[in-house]
Amino acid sequence: MTVTFKLNGRPVSWDCPEGESLKAALRRKGIVSVRDGCDGEGSCGLCAVLLDGRTVNSCTLLAAQAEGREIYTVEHFSKDRKLSVVQRALIDAACVQCGYCTPAVVLAVHSLLERSPEPTKQEVKDALSGTLCRCTGYEQFHNAVRIAAKRLKDPGYAEAAAPEFRPDLRHVGKDREKVDAAALARGEKAFVEDRVDSDACHLALLTSPHAHAWIKSIDASAALELPGVVAVLTHENCPDRVYTTAGQGFPEPSPHDQRMFSRKVRHVGDRVAAVLAETPDQARTALKALKVEYEVLKPVFSIAEARTPGAPVVHSGEVRYVSGEAPAGTSTAGDGRDDPVVYQFPLHADPHRNLAASVADGIGDVEKGFAEADVVVERTYKGNRVQCTPMEPHVVYAKVDGGRLVLHASTQVPWHVRRIVSRAVGIPENKVRVIKERVGGGFGAKQDIVLEDVAGYLAWTTGRPVFFRYDREQEFISSRTRHLMEITVKLGAKKDGRLTAVLMKVDADTGPYGQHCLTVPMNAVSKSLPLVLCDNARFEVKSYYTNLTPAGAYQGYGAPKGSFALQTALAELAAELGMDQLDLIERNRVRSGSRIEILRSLGEGRPGAAVTLGECGLGEMIGRGRKAFGWGGAKPATEDPDWKVGRGAVIVQQGSGLPGLDAANAEVRLLADGTVLLLSGGADLGTGLDTVTAKAAAEILGLDMEDVAVISGDTDVTPFDKGAYASSGTYFSGNAAVKAAEDLRAKVLAAASAVLGEPVSDLAIVHRGIVRGRKGEVTLAKLAHMSTQGEHHGDLVGIGGFKTEHAAFPYGAHFAEVAVNVRTGDVKLRRFHAYQDCGTPINPALALGQIYGGILKAVGHSLYEELLYDKDGRCVNPRFLDYKIPTIWEVPEDFHVELVPVADEVGPFGGKSVSEISLNGAAPAISIAIHDAVGVWMREWPFTPERILKALGKI
Amino acid sequence: MVVKYIRAASLDEADRVLASDKRARILAGGTQLLTSEFRDREFVAVDAGSLLPRGLERTAEGLTRIGAGAVFQDLADSPVPSRILSEAALGMANRNVRNAATVGGNLGAARSCSSLVPALLVLDARVRIHGAAETRPLADWLAAPSGIVTWIEIPASPGLRAAYARWSRTACDLSVLTCAASYRLQDGSLRDVRIACGGLDARSRRFPELERLFEGRPLPGRDEAAAAVAPALKPIDDLRGSAAFKRLRASELVAEALLTAREVSR
Repeated sequence: MTVTFKLNGRPVSWDCPEGESLKAALRRKGIVSVRDGCDGEGSCGLCAVLLDGRTVNSCTLLAAQAEGREIYTVEHFSKDRKLSVVQRALIDAACVQCGYCTPAVVLAVHSLLERSPEPTKQEVKDALSGTLCRCTGYEQFHNAVRIAAKRLKDPGYAEAAAPEFRPDLRHVGKDREKVDAAALARGEKAFVEDRVDSDACHLALLTSPHAHAWIKSIDASAALELPGVVAVLTHENCPDRVYTTAGQGFPEPSPHDQRMFSRKVRHVGDRVAAVLAETPDQARTALKALKVEYEVLKPVFSIAEARTPGAPVVHSGEVRYVSGEAPAGTSTAGDGRDDPVVYQFPLHADPHRNLAASVADGIGDVEKGFAEADVVVERTYKGNRVQCTPMEPHVVYAKVDGGRLVLHASTQVPWHVRRIVSRAVGIPENKVRVIKERVGGGFGAKQDIVLEDVAGYLAWTTGRPVFFRYDREQEFISSRTRHLMEITVKLGAKKDGRLTAVLMKVDADTGPYGQHCLTVPMNAVSKSLPLVLCDNARFEVKSYYTNLTPAGAYQGYGAPKGSFALQTALAELAAELGMDQLDLIERNRVRSGSRIEILRSLGEGRPGAAVTLGECGLGEMIGRGRKAFGWGGAKPATEDPDWKVGRGAVIVQQGSGLPGLDAANAEVRLLADGTVLLLSGGADLGTGLDTVTAKAAAEILGLDMEDVAVISGDTDVTPFDKGAYASSGTYFSGNAAVKAAEDLRAKVLAAASAVLGEPVSDLAIVHRGIVRGRKGEVTLAKLAHMSTQGEHHGDLVGIGGFKTEHAAFPYGAHFAEVAVNVRTGDVKLRRFHAYQDCGTPINPALALGQIYGGILKAVGHSLYEELLYDKDGRCVNPRFLDYKIPTIWEVPEDFHVELVPVADEVGPFGGKSVSEISLNGAAPAISIAIHDAVGVWMREWPFTPERILKALGKI
Repeated sequence: MVVKYIRAASLDEADRVLASDKRARILAGGTQLLTSEFRDREFVAVDAGSLLPRGLERTAEGLTRIGAGAVFQDLADSPVPSRILSEAALGMANRNVRNAATVGGNLGAARSCSSLVPALLVLDARVRIHGAAETRPLADWLAAPSGIVTWIEIPASPGLRAAYARWSRTACDLSVLTCAASYRLQDGSLRDVRIACGGLDARSRRFPELERLFEGRPLPGRDEAAAAVAPALKPIDDLRGSAAFKRLRASELVAEALLTAREVSR
């Protein structure tokens, strides 16, 4: 049918299929700014358009309904590549992180300012209430709206988005425009979905309806006869290899226990078959034509079940070790029908007893410590499964080009994708190119190779281009989640609060496969225990296979759950001792110059080493929080006596990459006009990493930001980088850029020395792109031009690699104030303050954005989010309608982040990691505050009203 | 999914299509019918969006009339409807949805999580059906829907006090539980008590068993009201809450609505 309407001010007449949604029609016609985060549920708002001046979701409108109406998309504001006042304000206020939601925000703010030129905070919340964003924490949107509103009256209006740091440097510590922000704010093509050719085939997965079953037979003959079907892939015709999907350094501390397709399905949503067809509808139709018979097995749904003797075995295949021996007493001989489980090295595992990995170690003698204690508390804490929910689900576009396999990927780990796909497909690494596109949120989920193996294999074997995108439901049930963990903490202390012994027992549920099965739960210990000083400390970590949703990496890794357990237990101990909880923390915490002995036993897959801490900012950070909250004073009164106020405070830490395990590289090329091209291996997920590396190059080479263009995460073009995980971006990839720029600087100075006839020691690069000596000067442009003319020196290219043995810990102190309604169990998070040390903040406003976003995710996990299952292991809330991530309304009224820098001697310009640590405080701080308010300890998160009412004995 | 789209030229034509094709559904804002929830159901979309009245008006007799094509945001922004209706309209999801979802569509969807229907029920709303001479009580229409609703009409009720309260998991969540209450105060006693709840049954409805608890009695205290209500509620367990939780939470909402209503003339 023909639909006639006005689009972005111009009349259009489009031929649309009758049932086509407006969103689909717009995208088909090249309006790519309408994004999709919920697959037409109407709950994410990323496909918003202005319809007759109002924001509406274009997925729940038919194109036909646009007849005679007026529609604006963000392309209107981006005409001729300009930026509107609103787009500019969002960039200036550091609101563009992954950028997947930005076009929708632009439209919502334009619409708001039309109806309310000076909007209140409530009006801003209302205007953005329909847009889900998982990156930003929404807080800085208020600044952007204020800036835009003021600029509409006074175009010259400017305000600082964040405090500045390091006055000795030009760019570092100052806010500079995020290098990809303008393109994202304009809604330009940037993501994998924008790279798909018109002849692309579509891949659809048949997934298991059973939690645990053998596939007795698959009959694909009818499906293969259907129109448009290109291929069907099952366990019968896929490569016979096992691998891990974990994008970790090789050899991975995760068992290779997953085949592309297995004869056994291990969770509801596990892969059964893939169909490749010419259209999505053909692929879906073909899925229905596949006939599968299952032999249903008894499943395992909890840690308790998994470790019960005689429990069903999730992985019954042969257990092999590439190096090292099977631990004594473990079972290795397998059931020939099941896939083998291959460990690269021993992880104290026993898969036939569902134990995927374990580790136990410690310092001192905890039994002696407990014997010396005046008070001992022992508590168990439980954290349920939460999902990363990047607004852009997993997506890949794979094709064969020039005899090589090219993957346009939304990934955190381009090089691990290349390695794993090359092995899965059975072709050498030089036949695979991975191009990391802009990533619409990763948060750990995209540290795993979830789609790329099967898409790559089908592209390679059929020669057809393959587009594969999870829908939101698949993202919930077949992507990755944070491990469910049950953590028992036992603490012994003297009357004065001094700890005499600390014991942490972590049991984790890794789900059906073992990606990150050791390192996530171990991280629960390694990022929490070193916060307290105690001569007797021990941990025991066990990770079990079950038949529930796969677990994996999620921002913070295991740390948020370990932090919840240990920090809450410390507060419970303080209550037993009758001490203030912060006084107890102060009595035992690490401080400047502390020797952290426990790190000897906390190496990640290798021996660790004790660390003597340099300067530690915890004292300052706790002090600032105490002051802001009037700690020790009376709590604020509430008007309604049913609402009780409480406060909680915790200290948190993280690492900065994996010292001794990982590496990053970069290259800087000087071009003939004196600008530079920075080739960074780092994977920017919306985090601002490309801006960090660009700043390093600009700072060192005396250039402006616009003189540096960044290309990153392309395995053909840029040098190796371990990927974006373990809080390594700034520290590793940033430092690689520093080293590359320093290398280029040295080469430039050597060349200039020859040109100017002055010794290198007399030369320096000064702004902007000039090498100045005592006598003369020469521009970088001139030097570069000479390199193209066959004069003097050759091409000026700097290369740099970074690895380290140095462990850099960011620290933080988080403070929460809640009000709890004793009648209803409702919790209001009234205040949340985070004082965080990330060393030198390279780009302060972006650093704040990372922290706001991290905290709000953790608030969601603490109060609302939890994957729920029925008795058959089926996830019953795989959608935003019933898995509630925070909207702008859930942001605390007083949400404050303050950077308290303590420079690190190894980090780039003294920088440390910033993002993951911010997830570690909310759960314990809120839990402690709830206790302070109503006297009950919430030991299982999320702290829903129902759980609170149960704790209060009301239901 | 929409297998056929018909842009109705008139409501008469829409009625004819509805009568002749079982798969036919009236399409208004699309926020229910076009969501992925209905992707696997085939239906014929009869677009009546431009034919339904969108007006919000108050007649000289004090009758409040809401066009079935009015969107929730209109209802929230307009000074015409009473406060309880504006608040109930704001209880609908988020601004993007409120900009598209129509009042008529919400009645047609008949979801238990409607934030609006309980409020309309305690205001004794009636619906005008296209082609029918007389209006019908909304409650009757919801129990046996037939015909296209064109107007929702709320009679003038001097002295009526009404309020509504909802519980959702996050602010923009659907209304897991909604309770509305209205009554008159006569010599210190409650008269003409109406209580309607959503989220406890398959559909929002009046709860005469609750109304009887309060009719003719003085306004109780909050504890007393909640304690009286709770035993009368029989919600079901589901992923949004256990029966025990919903019983307690809904009884608190009824108490809240009753107490808030005292301060609010509609």
